[in-house]
Amino acid sequence: MPDDHTEPETTTTTAEAPSESPEIIITRLFDAPPKLVFEAFTDADVLGEWWGPNGFTTTTKSFDFRPGGTWDFIMHGADGTDYPNYIRFREIVESERIVFDHGSSPDEDLFKSTITFEARGERTLLTIRQVYPTIEARDQAVEEYGAVEGGKQTLARLAQYLENGERA
Amino acid sequence: MADVFTVLADPTRRQMLDFLRDGERAVNELVDEVDIEQSGVSRHLRIMREAGLVSVHRDAQRRLYSVEPEPLRELDVWLEDYRQLWEESFEKLDAHLERRKQEE
Repeated sequence: MPDDHTEPETTTTTAEAPSESPEIIITRLFDAPPKLVFEAFTDADVLGEWWGPNGFTTTTKSFDFRPGGTWDFIMHGADGTDYPNYIRFREIVESERIVFDHGSSPDEDLFKSTITFEARGERTLLTIRQVYPTIEARDQAVEEYGAVEGGKQTLARLAQYLENGERA
Repeated sequence: MADVFTVLADPTRRQMLDFLRDGERAVNELVDEVDIEQSGVSRHLRIMREAGLVSVHRDAQRRLYSVEPEPLRELDVWLEDYRQLWEESFEKLDAHLERRKQEE
């Protein structure tokens, strides 16, 4: 991981969880200008194409992309588990920035996200900064989404590999 | 035993670990640093020792505490899973962007 998370040289996703602040910072370089990358966040059908890890699908109940508008959707996990999601957009600056609160329902904000789109020549540096109410909440979120879901997938892949390996 | 996440969720314990990163320290030095009573510091040290985050050894009359990095690797593994989830989304976004660029 580069020392300066804002300047990755390759299209590798970085994720940092600073020990002193309740944030997660995700960065990724995309081989397209900011306008195109930004547009991929502005349409529920397009978001449905890519949002979520492998094996996940998204059902959008409502989508209103403007400050104060909301995106109400369900993520369906590979194992059939449903994860309700509720996003309230706070600030939208075209091709530059999207700020929103993210939770599982209108009554539950889990964290605030700021997504920025920065031109890097013909490419775009995408930075997602998630701010949680406490470090404990941050760590719990990553533990749940990362370790539980990611771990489940890793175990599923391992199981698949072992099954195939035995058959081969 | 508390897991490493629970142990690190406490701000005083994080402060103590940061302090120990500069080198081994005795209990009284930790008490001065974090500004809580010795009984509290000792309790935090016991929790961190049980989680394998600090170790202790005797030096003449003193008991010196130092950081054990191994459990912190667990945090890297944990963040790596989380990073991977985003990477999967981003690869699908790459494919979408390629299609859009060809349309333009």
